[in-house]
Amino acid sequence: MSQQVGRMRLGPQPGEVIDRRRAFEFTWNGRTVTAHPGDTIVSALAADGERVFSRSFKYHRPRGLLTASFHDPGCMVQVDDEPNVRGGHRLAEPGMAVSSQNTWPSLKFDVKAINRFAGRFLTAGFYYKTFMKPEFLWPTYQKVLRGFVHAGEISPDTPHDYYDKRYAHPDVLIAGGGPAGMSAAIAAARAGASVMLVEEEHQLGGHLRWTDPAAAAELTAEVAATDGIEVLTNSTVAGRYDQNWIAVAQRDLPHARERLIKARARTLVVAGGLIERPYVFAGNDTPGVMLSTAVRRLINLHAVKPGQRAVVLTANPEGDAAVADLERAGVEVAHVADARKGEDVVRVHGRKGVKAVELSGGQKIDADLFVTATGWTAPTSLLNMAGDVPVYSPTAARFLPGGTAGESVLATGGIAGDGSLDELREHAEATGTEAARRAAGGRYHQLAAVPTRNGGKLSKPKGTAATLPQLPVHEHPELFRASTHGIVDYSEDVSSKDLHAAVREGYDSAELAKRFTTATMGPVQGKLETINAIATIAEATGKTIAENGTTTWRPMYTPVSLGALAGRIFEPVRYSPMQPWHEKHNATPLVAGQWIRPDHYGDPAAEVRNVRDNVGIIDVTPIGKLDLRGPDVPKLLNLLYVNKWSKLGIGRVRYGVMCAEDGVVMDDGVTGRLGEDHYLMSTTSSGAANVWEWVENWLQTEHPDWQVHVTPVTTAYASINVAGPKSRELVSRLTEGVDLSAEAFGYMQVRTGRVAGVDDCVLWRIGFTGELSYELHVPASYGLHVWEQLLEHGADLGVRPFGVEGQRILRLEKGHLIVGQDTDGLTKGYSAGIDWAIKLDKDDFVGKPELVWQHENGGGTRLVGIQPLDGTVVPPEASQIVNSRGTIVGRITSSRMSPTLNRAICLGQVEADLAKPGTTLTVHLPTGTKVGARVTEHHAHVDPEGTRQNIDTPPSQPRPHATPVARSPIPASGRTTTIAGWQVDARRSSATLRLADHTLLAKVGIRAAHDGSIAQALGTRFGRAVHDNGSAVIVGSGPGEWFVLGSPGSQDKLLTRMRNLVEETGEFGTVIDQTHGRALMKLTGEHAADLLAKVCGVDLSEAATPDGAALRTSVARLVTDVVRIDENGTPAYLLHCERSSGQYLFNALLDAGNEFGIEIDGCPTAPTL
Amino acid sequence: MIQLPCPWCGPRNASEFTHHGEVTSRPDVGTATPEQWRRYLYFRRNANGWVDENWYHTAGCRRFIRVRRHTLSNETEATR
Amino acid sequence: MSVGNGSHRAGNRNGKRKPQRYSAFGLFKRGLSRSDWPRVWQERPLKSTYDVVIVGGGVHGLATAYYLAANHGITNVAVLDKGYLGGGGSGRNTAILRSNYLTPEGVRFYDRSLHLYENLADELNFNVMFSQRGHMTLAHNDNSLRTLRWRAEVNKLQGVDSEVIDPDEIKKLVPYLDTSTDTRYPILGALYHPPGGIIRHDAVVWGYARAADAHGVHLHQNTEVTDIETAGGRVTGVRTNRGEVSTPVVVNCTAGWSTLISDMAGVDMPVTTSPLQAAVTEPVKPFLGTVVVSGTLHVYVSQTDRGELVFGASVDPFTSYSMRGSLEFAEGLAGHVLELMPPVSKMRLLRQWAGLCDMTPDYSPIMGPTHVDGFHVDVGWGTYGFKAGPVSGEAMADTVANGRPPEIIAPFGIDRFTTGQLVGEKGAAAVGH
Repeated sequence: MSQQVGRMRLGPQPGEVIDRRRAFEFTWNGRTVTAHPGDTIVSALAADGERVFSRSFKYHRPRGLLTASFHDPGCMVQVDDEPNVRGGHRLAEPGMAVSSQNTWPSLKFDVKAINRFAGRFLTAGFYYKTFMKPEFLWPTYQKVLRGFVHAGEISPDTPHDYYDKRYAHPDVLIAGGGPAGMSAAIAAARAGASVMLVEEEHQLGGHLRWTDPAAAAELTAEVAATDGIEVLTNSTVAGRYDQNWIAVAQRDLPHARERLIKARARTLVVAGGLIERPYVFAGNDTPGVMLSTAVRRLINLHAVKPGQRAVVLTANPEGDAAVADLERAGVEVAHVADARKGEDVVRVHGRKGVKAVELSGGQKIDADLFVTATGWTAPTSLLNMAGDVPVYSPTAARFLPGGTAGESVLATGGIAGDGSLDELREHAEATGTEAARRAAGGRYHQLAAVPTRNGGKLSKPKGTAATLPQLPVHEHPELFRASTHGIVDYSEDVSSKDLHAAVREGYDSAELAKRFTTATMGPVQGKLETINAIATIAEATGKTIAENGTTTWRPMYTPVSLGALAGRIFEPVRYSPMQPWHEKHNATPLVAGQWIRPDHYGDPAAEVRNVRDNVGIIDVTPIGKLDLRGPDVPKLLNLLYVNKWSKLGIGRVRYGVMCAEDGVVMDDGVTGRLGEDHYLMSTTSSGAANVWEWVENWLQTEHPDWQVHVTPVTTAYASINVAGPKSRELVSRLTEGVDLSAEAFGYMQVRTGRVAGVDDCVLWRIGFTGELSYELHVPASYGLHVWEQLLEHGADLGVRPFGVEGQRILRLEKGHLIVGQDTDGLTKGYSAGIDWAIKLDKDDFVGKPELVWQHENGGGTRLVGIQPLDGTVVPPEASQIVNSRGTIVGRITSSRMSPTLNRAICLGQVEADLAKPGTTLTVHLPTGTKVGARVTEHHAHVDPEGTRQNIDTPPSQPRPHATPVARSPIPASGRTTTIAGWQVDARRSSATLRLADHTLLAKVGIRAAHDGSIAQALGTRFGRAVHDNGSAVIVGSGPGEWFVLGSPGSQDKLLTRMRNLVEETGEFGTVIDQTHGRALMKLTGEHAADLLAKVCGVDLSEAATPDGAALRTSVARLVTDVVRIDENGTPAYLLHCERSSGQYLFNALLDAGNEFGIEIDGCPTAPTL
Repeated sequence: MIQLPCPWCGPRNASEFTHHGEVTSRPDVGTATPEQWRRYLYFRRNANGWVDENWYHTAGCRRFIRVRRHTLSNETEATR
Repeated sequence: MSVGNGSHRAGNRNGKRKPQRYSAFGLFKRGLSRSDWPRVWQERPLKSTYDVVIVGGGVHGLATAYYLAANHGITNVAVLDKGYLGGGGSGRNTAILRSNYLTPEGVRFYDRSLHLYENLADELNFNVMFSQRGHMTLAHNDNSLRTLRWRAEVNKLQGVDSEVIDPDEIKKLVPYLDTSTDTRYPILGALYHPPGGIIRHDAVVWGYARAADAHGVHLHQNTEVTDIETAGGRVTGVRTNRGEVSTPVVVNCTAGWSTLISDMAGVDMPVTTSPLQAAVTEPVKPFLGTVVVSGTLHVYVSQTDRGELVFGASVDPFTSYSMRGSLEFAEGLAGHVLELMPPVSKMRLLRQWAGLCDMTPDYSPIMGPTHVDGFHVDVGWGTYGFKAGPVSGEAMADTVANGRPPEIIAPFGIDRFTTGQLVGEKGAAAVGH
């Protein structure tokens, strides 16, 4: 049964959007108010008789309802912990706590209203002219100014709510769901375009909702009945960016409070309609002064009586219609002033509300409501963002599009001109059809360019450019300001008088006056004020509005919450295969770029001592590793490293330093030769990605003729450094097929063999610590197994893990530099203490000229070992080294207390003349005290002769060990089972959207010419995947790159097959097992593409990426290979990424899938491809 | 977000690429004077208009591609 | 070349005009009488000849003009701007001031600037609203913490108030920051610089303009330089959209267009131009008392006296002359701000914009004479030009008046890019704010 809520509530209205059968309560400044579903906060309050909703910024004048829309400046309220809520737009909800902003102590009595009387002194920009002296008081003045801040509050307890994002690729995006927008959408969809129709308000229909509810309903139904239109209400097109990249803010979804849609629209149609313009006169901001559209919204949409006795100033038919609405609503219309007949008003009387209206004739009419219909503003901002410069039309008394927004942006509806509903619809339909035609052209060019299509013939779109009809422009009086001055910018409290004063003072261009008075800078973003502001400035400068031009409209069209802009925060992280062990043994985590690493396990110093006395193991998986293959690798190494590589024998390892072209040290590491044409390069952990790109750059742009294939294998291997006098004993207990004796396997050598039952392990005998040590690179899936075996079989040797901090101390004791810590952005080769490595007699290497010149002129600082004279003082890193005059002559770059020497040890950069061993330095500590220090003979503080790493204890015999277990980076939760030696998730799901770990599949990578005979033999190209006689899938994953995926455990068979295939062609090609280097998962279900559209910007439409499509892109900000591989008709995608981010990607997909009820599916016992 | 015309992958969002700046040519290491070498290191045309640039498709095909881009409008043309 | 004396006469010829002093009493008087203030600067005809032509009517150009007149009596000076005064970088930056740089030469230079800013309101009789609310640069990993300590140490040795503080002290200063340790980017410490803060950028522009105008300097808006005339390796004049002007001295004080202007004089620049974007939110009641910067997260934020949050980031990932701004900037910004301050998630981004930054290879400016006699540059300001406005004006005026650069800008000469003597600010790259 229906109920009447609120004393100003009218009886049922034909177009009302409220549900009278239901009612609920919320509070307004603590008072309980009842509302109907469909009420906005303000309509409910107005129905309840409330007239004042806020206080103004500067003068704290009471402010009421002006537009009853999103853009109502006086209706910004606080809702719970959310500030600046648009009360004219936000729907009231049960239990909301709504309060007015910027009022103290209360809305009704506001102390700061005293400013009203000070108004004459507080002219625009007054603060520039005072508070200069005395300076010490300025901070106090500031506190006062800040006290006036006109806004809501945020709470320190507000959590980061769930916000969402998705990508879209509509042919036509239409901004505005009024008659024009709806007609354009229908026409475009009928012309075959996919359409996104975006409406700011809660229903489609625009002004038809109050001018012709029946027509609105009819059109809305037609939109719903037309295929290919996605309708988004309560959503705003917030911005248009280069190449029609369009931001749509969608509000109040079931699963998220706000969602940012990023749409690549082939055509944008701007159909934003018109915004009614306020009139400038004395008291124009008094509660009870409303725009004609405001009263019509109140009456027709929310059945609220806007007042009892009204005066209306009308200059157009809409104003006349408002009079009719008012009378129908039982409002006594005391007087209608017709501006078209030159009638005008002077001011309204009354402070907290309109009491009387004074006409230009001097006549005063009592009224509590004054309605103005004085003209329109075309919200052209989206067009401006597309480069259009609107032109002022004196006939229409508003700006019209300049028609220079470019091919991909069109305008229709009120923005484009006037006309009857039929004229508007006709124009909109023509525009929609043309938009679809232009989009088809864009789609054709996109599809022609993508390699993922299945080769079907593309037909060029037909149809020729239509010449769009011109909408008429109706006469409208130029009505901006009455004979009196009034408010121009409501949010900023800027009056026409302020603007006149600013212009007279010399701020006489639109931009300067705007900046000086802050007019149009407020939350309404000029939608109401711009035209009046420009008109007033024009008036003051004696120029025409056209001469003055409009100001630039910038995004956002309407403000968008930071939460929505942030969305789900995608920050890829990387874990080593041993991470579960580290966590179980409470390692203190260290965030190193994307890696989470163990800093230490409790006592770094003890970890160091244990390495020096017994043996320690450290997880160094993040060390960058590049697999280099091909006859020209030595050329590459000679070019990129400063030292020589031609004579590196098989089984040998060498340390190398890379400089950039400006001679600055860029990265270092060791590279070993594993076979005739096969090398493994290691880089710093942080430099891994850069070095890979660096190598590719030189190969692809400078030396495309060189035969070298580079494969990043950083996480294909789990890397474990075993260091200490007992390391040979420990490693030999678990190693088969490698003679570890000092004679057979010397320092700086490399071998491959089996460790703890795991084949294809790479062992380097190198060390950062100065101890005898072996770096084991183990196929990553077995990393945890080998790690645990080392600990188990080394227990009697006192083996203990050590973390990054321990390693830092050890390397400092040994005097090894860390690039980026002991060097900086300007440190050239000879300043890094690597003179011995730089070979200037090579004809060419990267950065050579700068190093030659540095060698000749000896510029730059020098890296030296430093020891404080007082060994108990550890100078904090970055402590400066100064001379007697206090001038900076160097700095400490590394510094620690050495557990081995029990004294402070450092590395530092000092000016060249201070680098001589024995030189005494003065170190200026952060505390301000100065301490003496000495430049040491060597960088190494411990064992400078390097004897420790050469101890020749005999190896022991291999011992029995546990059987290897392969593990996926995606932890198997719940029941597990074993497939081909893999411990995997055994659960099953029959949900409509499923995500399953497929990491256990065999993965073989192939590199060769993209168009050669190997490509031929593989039978597919970049962009497409094919089934290879059922057992495997061959994926064209990159230009000249393939992935072959096979059933678990089949990698060796696949390797042999592919190697043979490559050899038969006689062409240069590389085949590498990537089974342990990639995390692989499969997403299956009808909504698979919808899920991916939330984390991936690529167009996944049937046309662009049909079954069999293969591409590499960014998924949740992670580089990911995507292969569409439908499962008997159901869409399915394989996704794989480098192994260490597998868990991250898996979780990101699950999070994005919540909305669709995604479930985890276990690894199938025999994965079907 | 502008798109770049990757000759391999088709149009992709610029965020997938790494900008490597104007195409330069490396002087002969044997004969370059400090002036010539440092012009190569530091000086660019920085034109307000069409420029030829190197981009790396980091999150895509991992090819270095050459793109002609207008530095004011950000329009692009594939050149390859 | 020096234009020292010649223009003293010119100065007298122009005749100084004492501006109406601004004061609280003045406001009160005019409030009562409801009378207008005089024009802040005059409209003047474009003369056919000036002793010095300054290209660019931003804080650098106007400050140079002001100090030429105020410190050297050189007043026959024209400042030309293709748009309105302060419409470029000066009106688009986020108005953050600090002097806690990495290199001694950088610290000395910016500290002089900060000192000039501190007394600017008084000197110009225009309230520039400098709020020394403190400036905080966060570190999220030990590398950046080390660099911050490096800066702190260099600063202290130069007498600049700057220290590394721990998360507890950070939380005390900015309660809204998430200083818990389990975040993706834990806050390990910060470089705290009490004298740093924010200022009203337009006021600085208008204050310099008003003061320069009062000394007889000609300010010409909507006057675009289309070419620079040289003869025998020296400057002879400029062409503009409003006619030709002969002058022996041209100072290039532009940002964004510095390459194009220098090209006109035949001077190559080691500069690339990239947009730097900024954004502002709707106002909320004050809750953020200091400037907060995170280099790792590429974001800096401060709250204005109006209650808005003003954000900036590092320059765009590729060069461009476009000032249209991008959505990905707003997205990245919001994401990073929420990492630091989750409670701001319900605040709304009101407006975003972009300015142009001329980046140099060593993150330091290019100042002083060039190989073309009479053509001086004050360019390459990257993301830190506004901070340097006053000291640059002072030093460039000095350079023009005495024909050689003063010691304080000696390290910033263009020759360093051929001699290889780069400045070390790059050591502390990432966001400079």
